[in-house]
Amino acid sequence: MSEVQKKRRYGFFRWIVLALILIGIYAAFIGPSILKPVRPAIVLPPEAVWPGLEILGIPLTNTMLATLIADLILIWMALRVSRFVKSGAMVPSGVSNFFEAIFEFLWNAVDSSTGKWARRVIPLVATIFLLIFVANMVKLVPGFESIGYLEPPPKGTGYAPVPLFNIFGHTVYTLDSAQPVKLEAEAAASEGSESAHAEGEHEMCKACQVVPFLRGSATDLNFTIALAVIAVLMTQVYGVMALGPGYFGKFFQFGRLVNGGIFGVIDFGVGILELILEFAKILSFSFRLFGNVFGGAALLAIIGSLLPVILPAGLYLFEMLFGIIQAYVFYLLATVFISMAAVSHHSEETAEAH
Amino acid sequence: MNDPQAFITGLKLLGAGLAMIGAIGAGVGVGIAASGGVQAMGRNPDAAPIIQTNMILGMAFAEAVAIYALAVALIIIFAAG
Repeated sequence: MSEVQKKRRYGFFRWIVLALILIGIYAAFIGPSILKPVRPAIVLPPEAVWPGLEILGIPLTNTMLATLIADLILIWMALRVSRFVKSGAMVPSGVSNFFEAIFEFLWNAVDSSTGKWARRVIPLVATIFLLIFVANMVKLVPGFESIGYLEPPPKGTGYAPVPLFNIFGHTVYTLDSAQPVKLEAEAAASEGSESAHAEGEHEMCKACQVVPFLRGSATDLNFTIALAVIAVLMTQVYGVMALGPGYFGKFFQFGRLVNGGIFGVIDFGVGILELILEFAKILSFSFRLFGNVFGGAALLAIIGSLLPVILPAGLYLFEMLFGIIQAYVFYLLATVFISMAAVSHHSEETAEAH
Repeated sequence: MNDPQAFITGLKLLGAGLAMIGAIGAGVGVGIAASGGVQAMGRNPDAAPIIQTNMILGMAFAEAVAIYALAVALIIIFAAG
């Protein structure tokens, strides 16, 4: 009986997928031109969510908004888990179960590489993992990078806006891919959007591009550099916690310079190189995450505008995998660097303790 | 050559494309890491978790080179002059 039911459900989903593919083909190749994908504008710096919207003089950017959403999801998950822990039940379910699986996976890696420091290291690296993981997953929700207000592009080609429908007195616009407009210098800043509100008193732009309300957090270099600086600074903190002030002897080996002879000089140079390496870590941490996520987003946007039928679905799956892998790589590298910092260079007994 | 701005834009795009040549090395490196990792896991399946961790670590380091190239290319396209 159950087998029959299973079979029918499988068939049901198959028809949904087929229908979606057919709708996609209709929208991309056959249907009216407003359904066709518009070539997106790829912009490196994050844009302000709304022109002139500032908090304490700093514009609220779309990547900041996306990070806040990821934070809210994480806080909600944490509240659910803390409620479960307080309830005293033994078998987790739903979000708690998911959280337990992730945490067990993280704990095993941290425990095996940092040994006795694991209980102090895991709050930092697990937080970094969860934030990057959730931010990378949230970024893939449809509506990210496609809903926003309209603005004339700084250069190149914009598209003519077409009014779709009214909502609460505001007109919602979409971009018509059949009407590319070469940019004129007179285009004034104005608002509207691809499926979002427009304010009537502003002058509409003739050639527009969408400035999205939400953009993936890691497509902003500020986000990744902040995480990298935190990770590298905390590496030094854990090193000092484990070894005391003598930790910095790793970088400035004055003792070897004085009484080590020619090899002492070489050791001193190696110490200075290690100091430079710490700064290189910030660079490699931040650019790895940023490059992967930004490259993935640009790839999705461009492939989506060139061949919008079946390929983007596969790329979305790819992006999901890469979101997890990049979070894992960031977390793993932070763990390994911290465990290397917590082990003394000279005395072998600290290493033996693991 | 009549439009210097177009000439500069073209050279910028060419430079960005040339910068991505650096991805060749990273591709080779990631391939070697995956090959070695899979061979090791095939010989000793019990050690698979440790090998996998170190393999991903090595791949991340190798991939970093390609990411630097990508960063240079992006800076050339979007940020430089």
